[in-house]
Amino acid sequence: MLRFILVAMVCAFGLYASPEDDAAVNVLKKNCLLCHGAAMQSSGLDLRDRDKMLKGGERGAALVPGDPSKSLIYRFAAGIDQPSMPPGKKLPEADLAVLKAWIERGGNLSAPAVVPAEDPKAALAKLEERPITEQERQFWSFRPIAKPAPPSAAANPIDAFLAAGWKAKGLTGSPRANKRTLIRRAYLDVTGLPPTVEEVRAFEADSSPDAFAKVVDRLLASPAYGERWGRHWLDLVRYADSGGYETDTDRPNVWRYRDWVVSALNKDMPYDRFVQLQIAGDEYAPGTVDAKVATGFIYLGPEANMRNEQTRMDELDDIVATTGTTMMGMTLGCARCHNHKFDPIPQKDYYQIQAVFFPSSRGEVPIVGEAEKKAFDEATKAWRAKLEPLEKELKALYAPYRDKIRQQKILQLPDFYQLALKTPPEKRTEGQKLNAIQVERQLGASRGEIESIMPPEDQEKSCHLNEQITLTELQKPVIDTAWSTVEKDGGKPKESHFLHHGSIGNKGSVMQPGVLTVASAPNALPKFPTPDPNASSSLRRKAFADWLTSPTHPLFARVMVNRIWQHHFGEGIVRTPSNFGKTGEAPTHPELLDWLASEFIDKGWSMKAMHRLMLMSDAYQMASDDIEANRKIDPTNRMLWRQARTRVEAEVLRDSVLAVAGTLDKTIGGPGVFPFIDPALFAASTKRDWPGKAETDASTFRRSIYVFSKRTIPLPMFDLFDKPDTNSACARRNRSTIATQSLILMNSGFAMHQAKMFAERLRLDVGNDVQAQVERAYEIALSRKPSARETELALGFIKNNPTGLVDFCQTMFNLNEFAYIQ
Amino acid sequence: MTNKRFWSRRELLARCGGGVAGLALADLGLAATGDAAGAAVNPLAPKAPHFAAKAKAVISIFCYGGVSQVDTFDPKPELARRAGETMVGKGEVVVSQGLPGGLLPSPWKFKKYGQCGMDVSDLFPHVGGMADDIALIRSMYCTSNDHAPALFQMNTGFILTGYPSMGSWITYGLGSENQNLPSFVVFQDWRGGPIGGAPNWSNGFMPAAYQGTPFRTNGDPIVDLRPPAEMSGDRQRKWLDLLNKLNEEHLAKNPEDSEFSARIAAHELAYRMQTHAVKAVALEQESAAIQKLYGLDEPETEYFGRQCLMARRLVERGVRFVQIYSGGGNFTESWDAHFDLELNHGMHAKETDKPLAGLLKDLKANGLLDSTLVIWHGEFGRMPISQRMNGRDHNPYGFSLWLAGGGIKGGNIVGATDEYGYKAVENRKSVNDLHATILHQMGLHHDKLTYPHNGRNFRLTDVSGSLIKEII
Repeated sequence: MLRFILVAMVCAFGLYASPEDDAAVNVLKKNCLLCHGAAMQSSGLDLRDRDKMLKGGERGAALVPGDPSKSLIYRFAAGIDQPSMPPGKKLPEADLAVLKAWIERGGNLSAPAVVPAEDPKAALAKLEERPITEQERQFWSFRPIAKPAPPSAAANPIDAFLAAGWKAKGLTGSPRANKRTLIRRAYLDVTGLPPTVEEVRAFEADSSPDAFAKVVDRLLASPAYGERWGRHWLDLVRYADSGGYETDTDRPNVWRYRDWVVSALNKDMPYDRFVQLQIAGDEYAPGTVDAKVATGFIYLGPEANMRNEQTRMDELDDIVATTGTTMMGMTLGCARCHNHKFDPIPQKDYYQIQAVFFPSSRGEVPIVGEAEKKAFDEATKAWRAKLEPLEKELKALYAPYRDKIRQQKILQLPDFYQLALKTPPEKRTEGQKLNAIQVERQLGASRGEIESIMPPEDQEKSCHLNEQITLTELQKPVIDTAWSTVEKDGGKPKESHFLHHGSIGNKGSVMQPGVLTVASAPNALPKFPTPDPNASSSLRRKAFADWLTSPTHPLFARVMVNRIWQHHFGEGIVRTPSNFGKTGEAPTHPELLDWLASEFIDKGWSMKAMHRLMLMSDAYQMASDDIEANRKIDPTNRMLWRQARTRVEAEVLRDSVLAVAGTLDKTIGGPGVFPFIDPALFAASTKRDWPGKAETDASTFRRSIYVFSKRTIPLPMFDLFDKPDTNSACARRNRSTIATQSLILMNSGFAMHQAKMFAERLRLDVGNDVQAQVERAYEIALSRKPSARETELALGFIKNNPTGLVDFCQTMFNLNEFAYIQ
Repeated sequence: MTNKRFWSRRELLARCGGGVAGLALADLGLAATGDAAGAAVNPLAPKAPHFAAKAKAVISIFCYGGVSQVDTFDPKPELARRAGETMVGKGEVVVSQGLPGGLLPSPWKFKKYGQCGMDVSDLFPHVGGMADDIALIRSMYCTSNDHAPALFQMNTGFILTGYPSMGSWITYGLGSENQNLPSFVVFQDWRGGPIGGAPNWSNGFMPAAYQGTPFRTNGDPIVDLRPPAEMSGDRQRKWLDLLNKLNEEHLAKNPEDSEFSARIAAHELAYRMQTHAVKAVALEQESAAIQKLYGLDEPETEYFGRQCLMARRLVERGVRFVQIYSGGGNFTESWDAHFDLELNHGMHAKETDKPLAGLLKDLKANGLLDSTLVIWHGEFGRMPISQRMNGRDHNPYGFSLWLAGGGIKGGNIVGATDEYGYKAVENRKSVNDLHATILHQMGLHHDKLTYPHNGRNFRLTDVSGSLIKEII
């Protein structure tokens, strides 16, 4: 017995531990054990005793007695392997020498190393702290928003701020764009559709000073405004109609969120309310349909096939990261595994914000009234009562045949499986237990197998019952639901933790809900309420949204006015619209940005007021052509001396084709539509499908925002023209120019069919006079009359080709001018 | 540039990429850097690598569903000795579906191949014949046992969806040597594509220029490559000529706008692509002997053989990255042998063994193997224990894959799994390590090739990855 204990001790502690060895243990205690000890075993490594050191963690043995060059303790401490340990500091040379000598001696311990005397919990909590310095608070985007006075008395302060910039750099602002360019720009920008010929002519004929103001008001009042600007928002919230990954399951109700966004914008819902409802609609306005639908925002991200703690953490990361970039222009996601490397975003802030969303989960909730809900519940009950007896009867009918098949199948099994089954469960070996379970899963019988051994009368019964069951299943009552967010634990939310290195294996302290510290005045962090245990939710999201949407929040207003500016002027005042941190770009016009943000707040967060302000500036109405002298000074137009020339997004291009061809179906809202996709592109898995209609099917000629957004089956035209992939927030679309885009506009059945429809429209509009056709085509497609040269080229072409008009129409869709806002 | 306000069509096309393989664009200085507005003008213009590259092109053979290592390249006699016994001593045995069964011996025999004496099973006799050109890694592991995340990890480095794929990273890093063809081409199995679909060859948050283009194996290779039949003869050429003339009128106002010029060039490239892409996959131009080498004369190997032969023709023409999926859809249609392993792997190996060996031999004979990196892999391996009695479940803890060509040292075996082939234990290699090594052969530093998105510079290898020095 004594010998056994001695052997055990020798293994655990090694032999002949000496005072020098104790010195090494002290180095370990001081530097390593917090993360590789009782409180936490980072990377699976535990250094509390010698056996554990020999066994090591995920990277292999930590201690190889006698060989420091193979002992990971030494390799990481010496910085031979990266990341060097302990993180963020260098081990003193003397300590390193102690460790090295100790390993060379055999790495013996006189006693198990133990965690430092300090309470491990307190030590962990200390490790998680990362204070914000005063200097960090002085970074431009964290400073309070002041309302600077415009530098001169222009009619529109925007122009005063820009003019000051031109003056400083020796630039001259561009002249006003001609009326036809201007109205086309405003239409494409505000509604995503080109103006009609009549609208252009009316604007040209209107010589009153408020002619453009009238256009702007009309556009902002058009439902097409919400469809256009709603699409910008959907990019930011990674909107899609399916869940991605393996099954890419359709979300047949998520379109209600899309429609909610469109309608909120059209109603000019104040931006603070717009965001409040999306984060915590259920807590601000419990029970309302809008609130149920708006909180769909939280769980719009992709959904992994497997549900476990890790995929839940990934899901929450998507929510925290999207909230950070979209609402605050802060890359919160970078603080999941460590404190943010560039910005003052402590990892603890990340996990406190994660704690805001932690109690929530995705819920598909009914959006009907109480009475309807009750009727649905009763109908469901009645339906079950009808279905269940049928299923029971079928089961009874099948039972004897099932058993027969089972016995037959058993006889065909290899001997060791049969033996496993024959052995009584309590006598089975471990292997037999597993094998028996395996076998059980193979002994079932399909309907076909069963019917094949039935006498005819039972076969008939089976057919009849199955038919009854199928018919009954079809009668399953349905209820309208919303893609929404719920809190199942109500007022008693479960605990979440700080995760060291972002790993679920390294849980740190329990986290309370919190906010982005640096965006709050010191000592003015919001208080999260302690909810009534019987409450229906934790109220954490509401408290968070109150803080986020406060007029004193330094980022919330700045980020949004910059986004609105970006879409009107091609680039943001901050050209990294979702990164207002150190690695982002600084604002080109910081005072203008702050003035706009203040104005946004002062005008009650009205987005339409912001649009009107920007659209009515002289700056917006400038020409977009180059001015050589300016180009030399400011080639990238940072000081905004001209308007932008921007290729329209995929959706605007498709919608413009439909509008010009005269085929656009302007129906607003509802479930998504499925235009044609070549099956070669999605025959990817039997689990997914795209019920595409023909290219000539007019029911698909809806605005592109209504095209079903399937994460794994993108519409080629959208995919090639840089529609974002919907898996993370996109604030600024890429703008590729590639040959495969041209192939779509040159060769697709869609382009060809629409060209025919456009030609048909021209004939209907102006008859067979070719010159009139050409003029009309230019007016419809490009909002202007053709030049003499253009007319000559087009006439020659149409007259000399039997298919001239259709081909000319397709040419129009392919013109650069057609695809650019100028 | 110039003050010239008007160009002839010929001048315009010469300026905008009408020259050889798009070099004119590069000459114009419109290459990959981007213009005033920050939009890349010709994002596919060739770019210099970080250092001298060993390989110019990659062919990835993706055996989707997951190939069993213990039945192909990693023999484990212990499985036969302990058939039906419980696997013990390996910690918790994690399976993706159902409960673990007993150890399941391989139904195939292994033989030694080549001077290096590589053990390869009877599933891959032809590939075995190329053993001395192959570097086999037996100690791969990945971090998900679920198809879609594991596919994404193999293709993009991340188990989450939304990241650019390896082909995108490589074309982003190097551009393309042939502007008349897509730079990143994907062939799917005749039974369908992989789980997860298009995100497997997605550009993620990069510009669309870097996305994989699916190629069909029969008929026109690219969807919408050619106009509908009624647009016959020179009808399209005529309206494209009109388009160019009208675009010239428009360009005259802003002659320095490189985006406008690039779009004009893109249309011309697209027009040329119609003939180039069809020629590129015109297998009838290959001799009967070559067709036979790839197995085009046998029904089982014909489809995959066509894809392999097309891959050779594409890399020959400067295409940067070709990926071919073996297996599509679900279960038996892919390598996902949850049941009846013998039928499943027997079928898929039969379809691919000869064409794969043919591809390696042909590349070698043409002197292309030195500059073409061929990788054979799945998204994970399979369990040494049984599932549903005669199948194997997913196994991310240990699996085999091989590389050949592109400067890889052949006849080389790296790492080992445990006695059952369950977990990689010796010289373990991560997917990041594999990606780092592939980029390295292409002349790219995996830790320097970055792309910014939402405030962070992303890499194919995230925050890790070490070169697999044993094979380079």
